Amino acid sequence: MTVLLEARDLARVYQILRGLFVEPTMLRAVDGVSLTVEAGETLGIVGESGCGKSTLGRMLLGIDPADEGAVRFDGDAMPGLGSKDWRQSRRKMQLVYQDPLAALDRRLPIAEQIGEPLDIHGLADGADRAARIWSLMDAVGLDAEQADRYPHQLSGGQRQRVVIARALASEPKLIVCDEPVSALDVSIQAQVVNLLRDLQQDTGIAMVFISHDLKVVRNIADRVAVMYLGRIVEEASSDDVFRDPRHPYTQALVSSVPEPGKPLAHRTILQGEPPNPGNRPSGCAFHPRCPLVREICRTTAPSLTSIAHGRQVACHVAGACLHAA
Amino acid sequence: MSISHTLASPATDAKSVRRSRSRLPMSVGLGIAWLGAMVLVAAFADQIRPFDITTMDLAHRLAPPGGLKHLLGTDELGRDVLTRLIQSIRVSLVIAFGATLLSATFGTLLGFAAAQFRGVVEHLILVLADFQAALPFLIMSLAVLAFFGSSMLLLVCLMGFYGWERYARIARGLAISAGTQGYAAAVVQLGATPGRVYLRHILPNVASTLIVSMTLTFPEIILMESGLSFLGLGVQPPETSLGNMVGFGREYLTRAPWIMLAPAVVIMLTTLSISLVGDWLRDKLDPTIR
Amino acid sequence: MVRFMLGRLLRAFITIIAVVTFAFVVLRMSGDPSQVMLGPDAPQDAVDAFRHRWGLDQPLWVQYFAYVRSILTGDFGVSMRDHASALGLVLQRVPATLQLTLPAMALKLFLGIPAGVYAALNRDSTTDRAVILLSVLGFTIPSFVMGLLLVLIFSVMLGVLPSGGQDTWVHGILPTLTLAIGGIGILARFSRSAMIEVLTQHYVRTASAKGMSWRNVVWRHALPNAALPIVTLVGFMVGSLIAGAVVVESIFSWPGIGRLLIVSVSNRDLAVVQCILLVIAATMVVSNLLVDLAYGWLDPRLAARRH
Repeated sequence: MTVLLEARDLARVYQILRGLFVEPTMLRAVDGVSLTVEAGETLGIVGESGCGKSTLGRMLLGIDPADEGAVRFDGDAMPGLGSKDWRQSRRKMQLVYQDPLAALDRRLPIAEQIGEPLDIHGLADGADRAARIWSLMDAVGLDAEQADRYPHQLSGGQRQRVVIARALASEPKLIVCDEPVSALDVSIQAQVVNLLRDLQQDTGIAMVFISHDLKVVRNIADRVAVMYLGRIVEEASSDDVFRDPRHPYTQALVSSVPEPGKPLAHRTILQGEPPNPGNRPSGCAFHPRCPLVREICRTTAPSLTSIAHGRQVACHVAGACLHAA
Repeated sequence: MSISHTLASPATDAKSVRRSRSRLPMSVGLGIAWLGAMVLVAAFADQIRPFDITTMDLAHRLAPPGGLKHLLGTDELGRDVLTRLIQSIRVSLVIAFGATLLSATFGTLLGFAAAQFRGVVEHLILVLADFQAALPFLIMSLAVLAFFGSSMLLLVCLMGFYGWERYARIARGLAISAGTQGYAAAVVQLGATPGRVYLRHILPNVASTLIVSMTLTFPEIILMESGLSFLGLGVQPPETSLGNMVGFGREYLTRAPWIMLAPAVVIMLTTLSISLVGDWLRDKLDPTIR
Repeated sequence: MVRFMLGRLLRAFITIIAVVTFAFVVLRMSGDPSQVMLGPDAPQDAVDAFRHRWGLDQPLWVQYFAYVRSILTGDFGVSMRDHASALGLVLQRVPATLQLTLPAMALKLFLGIPAGVYAALNRDSTTDRAVILLSVLGFTIPSFVMGLLLVLIFSVMLGVLPSGGQDTWVHGILPTLTLAIGGIGILARFSRSAMIEVLTQHYVRTASAKGMSWRNVVWRHALPNAALPIVTLVGFMVGSLIAGAVVVESIFSWPGIGRLLIVSVSNRDLAVVQCILLVIAATMVVSNLLVDLAYGWLDPRLAARRH
């Protein structure tokens, strides 16, 4: 396996103005994240809303600039936002949005929008272009007769298929899916996730799949990174995370996923305030809600350390957690 | 005179919206018919006017309307009022139309620039808009004409600044909202150049709003031009415009009121028609615009 | 709130600077004043002396700062026609203009707003339709047509009112009416729609649903809320008290600022024109500031920011 995307110590810092004479607060939406995506693999990123996972996804694509750290894609540094190189690099990486209706131009028929990357990057024209659009629509499960429809004439699931087809049009090496199904009806969610998984397997494209929903990620991801307040607290293969979560936060998330035939007896209910990125607790950011909190957690932030092959966790008591699960 | 855009706000009359959706109201139909007639007159002015605009019929000076030869009468030099009216309609409409296009283009460009570059550019454009609000347009036009003298080109360019800040505000707002999370951001992310994003995506999406704004600006520019021409600082003789005809007709108010009344009626009916049609279009196309 | 006002003050200041710069640029671009003053055939040494005397041989930015300094000290230049101080000439005309615009303003306020509110409270009644029709007419008839129509009717046909001059208060009737009619229409239509907007809000319906008398609902809930947008428009009208009578003064030969402006423009009396420009811009900026102050006072959301 070759490394396709490598992010090192990414940070995104926002200034929160609190008035004329008050010192602005620094909000670290993403704080020192390092990760890699290998060619053809699917990395899931999981966390509550506000944990910085969407920002991280946009930084991986170079849409949001990194305030600290750097992203390398296919061995090259990410070009500056909006530069000519940056625009050309879009061909190789694409984003699938949470709200497909907002991501589509309501005044253009969908076939035109699917073909847009072909026009922008000069990939095909004439009959070739039409054929490519048709095969893309076919690949995502849209009928040829829907080509002239406008976005508002389609259902939510169909719109998301249009967005996916458009993202795939330039045959990218990586797509980042930012909560691609959370705006859809539950009954449609599985269809779209299955479509993404099939497409990923057929084309061998690498995928970063961002979601707050562990069930969905489990279905599609090879590896999972769990985020809490801008940092990765645990990273492991999908199987390991679900079978044997180490970080107390991951444990709480995993225990909340219902499984057929099993009572939710060991469910860990998180206590305390939901996390607020503008008011980050000292030490380990999770300590006010952690059932296993120790003194050191209040003062010192744990770093992400490798505990087994392909497994990393950021917790002072992670070893002891083995039994708690 | 820059007030009419406030006329529509702050409330859109919910009931009239519903009524206008169902069928074309008669007043709007009449307005469209009148505007169509005006456009035809302006387009075929050379063919339909009975005389040349400077032809003097000294035997029939200040002839009253109704005569067979001079349907709307003649002025103090025996020139045919109908002929001059037709030519005036053409001149006034062409100026107003050109100026409306100029101001829409200029304002939209500035609005897009503000949305694209933000920061300093945006503040500069804000200062320009404040400046425009601080100087009544008529006063500014008078000052510029005083310093540079009146010419047709300068007049159209001046009028072309009228109302630009309205387009700039609309274009900026819509472009920013499209660019932060909407379709425009998605197209940028596909690798499109800013030119493609603005021309192919944002412009078609804001066009209906801009067109409605143009129906607000157009009658105001007609009033502005005719006001300046009335004061003798707009269109210069021997060329003629609606305001300029009223201005000269004023001298003969007691003896030949028709010289002044004919163009006055045309101005009133035209601005009234555009206002009616514009209100209706606004309800139809874009109920959210102010 | 304090921050809001500081921001508005800063914007007002920048606006004034922009207007002054505009006046300077236009003044300089419109040609060499030595040519205008001395004529094209003036000998070179006379031109040089003139240019030196007026600082025209200095770099542009030096000229600009000299210009700003002279304006700050109240020196707006000298009229080319009668060599009187431009500012003096302008200020001397202000009372005449106010004689027209103030009564017209009072008419607009005391007729326009009540008519609009009354129409809104009696929607689709005959009065409502009449108000709409009259306000549309008031808006679409340009003031120069309105003025001439009034002259045609009252001076030419009926012969009861004078058509021009400033001799007695009777002479002021027609120009005041001309100024007021359009404004009454605009204010009536605007107040009507502001009032209708407020009347459809939930708090108004709640107030009347809980049994408050309609009179109380209108006075305590509807009117104060409808007042906000109306204040903006009235502020605009106050700002144009000096500038808004150009056309009307010209029709009725009324010796106010507007007429001075037209005459000065025709004579290319640049000093007077730029002085009028600056005076008018200052009036507009100040009245816009006052509107913002009134907003802060009327709108509790802005007032709350004080704390």
